[in-house]
Formats: sequence, structure tokens, C-alpha cells
Amino acid sequence: MAVSVSASTIASLNSGLSNRLATSSYSSNLSSSSSLQFPLQLRRVRIGTAGLCSPSGARVLPLVKAKNQTFSSLDDLLSNSDKPVLVDFYATWCGPCQFMAPVLNEVASQLKDKIQVVKIDTEKYPSIADKYRIEALPTFIIFKDGEPCDRFEGALAADQLIQRIENSLKVKQ
Amino acid sequence: MTLQAQASSSFTIGIPSFTSPLGRSRHRFVVRAQVEPSEKAVEIMRKFSEQYARKSGTYFCVDKGVTSVVIKGLADHKDSLGAPLCPCRHYDDKAAEAGQGFWNCPCVPMRERKECHCMLFLTPDNDFAGKEQVISLDEIREATANM
Repeated sequence: MAVSVSASTIASLNSGLSNRLATSSYSSNLSSSSSLQFPLQLRRVRIGTAGLCSPSGARVLPLVKAKNQTFSSLDDLLSNSDKPVLVDFYATWCGPCQFMAPVLNEVASQLKDKIQVVKIDTEKYPSIADKYRIEALPTFIIFKDGEPCDRFEGALAADQLIQRIENSLKVKQ
Repeated sequence: MTLQAQASSSFTIGIPSFTSPLGRSRHRFVVRAQVEPSEKAVEIMRKFSEQYARKSGTYFCVDKGVTSVVIKGLADHKDSLGAPLCPCRHYDDKAAEAGQGFWNCPCVPMRERKECHCMLFLTPDNDFAGKEQVISLDEIREATANM
């Protein structure tokens, strides 16, 4: 069964970035996939730092590889994930949602072994947004073992988001 | 229904488009959308935003990129629905909501309590509030330039 997977690489933000917002770069991480999609098994993406650490010990964030994959449903994605999943429900023209794009990049990079980050465009997948009763955007839901275990709305800084995720994951244990 | 998601150990996206290296666009706010709002609507919503910020004593976000995206979102809804429905919400029926009016900008929560979760109009005490109540069309264009 032919499967199309397109990969995109995103340069991670410098971890030394302060929380000042003056110049942040926003990006919607988008990749093209024009061929037919078929359900496929989730392929684990390993992010390694091999060869990317500078000798001086300065922290160089590895490139985060994002893959375009197709699932028959969000449930499918959730059940295939071996880690807790942070789902970001967003819309293209929602300012705070775009603000969160580099923040999520940072968080995904820092917590790469603890959580998988997933973004859902609520305009493209309104039924999923309806199912989870999404109202304000962005809404974040943390799924553990396929079930929502925490939910919150609004933009927040990377350290606050990391704190929130770690608290949620701790409680569940 | 197939769900197209971009999965990784970082995050995924539900809409297809082309990628670009971000290395050289460190300070650029990039939004890639399939349809852009009309220039006329953007200008209308830009003027409205400046006026309303002044009138309500609120300020734009320190990061004008947020302001720009929201203004474009309002313009997009004005084009498609005839009214500037709040772009930072998910709706069952956008046309019905636009007709009803609660979430048309300036929405009721903003008018009554100066609550703007879009981060368009921020009260001075808000952490994200800047000092400006103006934004130029150039700023909007630059902040949302497609690569």
C-alpha cells in the first residue's frame, strides 16, 4: 500500500531565548502532501543530538524533524502513541495560536522523551474540534493513555507550558 | 474521514502546504494560509483596531505579529461572513454566530469586561501589553508575509 510521507525540518529556536516577545518568529509548520493518504502506522521519530553538540559545551538544539503522516482518526494517533500527547487545537488566523508555534517547538524539543506534540487545525477538522468541545483557541489538551487528563486555553510562555505539562504528567502517576 | 496530521516527536499540523527552512527567518513571523483576506477588509479592520484600542484604553501586544494575525483573521471573516467574527474561537456554525453577534468584534466579553483572548486589545496591566495603539499596513504585511 503506497504511503506518502513528507518530512520537513524545523530549526529549533535557540534555547537561550528569553521570554521577551519583541522579536519572535512565528511559523506554521506546513508541508505538502498532494498524493492520496492511506492510514499507516505511526513511525517513531527519534531526535538525536549526535554531531550537533559543540565542543565548548554550548547547547545546540537538534533539528526537529516533523513528518506528515496520515491517521484514520485522532483516536488512531492517540492509541498508537507510546508517550502522552499534547494536542494544540488552533486556527490559521488566531494570533495567540501562531504565537505558540515556536513555543511548541521549544517545548517539544525540551520534553522530547516525555511527550509528543500534535497540532490540529480546527477549520480543517471541525468534527474533531466539536468532539472535544473546543471553544476558545488555542486550546491544549494533554492525553495520557488516550484519555484527556488536562485541558487549558490561551497562549503561554515555554517555561509555563513545560511546568504545566510536567505537573499533569506527575499527577497521573 | 482521514486525518492528515504531521507527526513527530515535536508536533504535527493538520493542513498541507510547503515547508521552508526557518534558519534565515528567525525574526519573521510567517503565516501561510491558503486564502488571504482582501486588502480593503484588512485596512478596515486595521483602522477599527486602532480606534477601538484608543477608545477602550487598551494596547496592542508587545509582539505585533499577534496583532497582525488577528487583524487579518477579522478581515477574513468580514470578507466571508460579512461581519468580523472573532478568529480565535471554534464555532459550530460561523454564519449563525456572525448573525447572532455575541462574538463579532468587539465581542461582548471585550465590551463588558475588556477581555480579549485574541490578545488584540490588552489592558495595560497585562504581561503581554505593549505601549502602542497603532499599527501600520506595512507592519501587518511584514509580520504575515508568506515566504
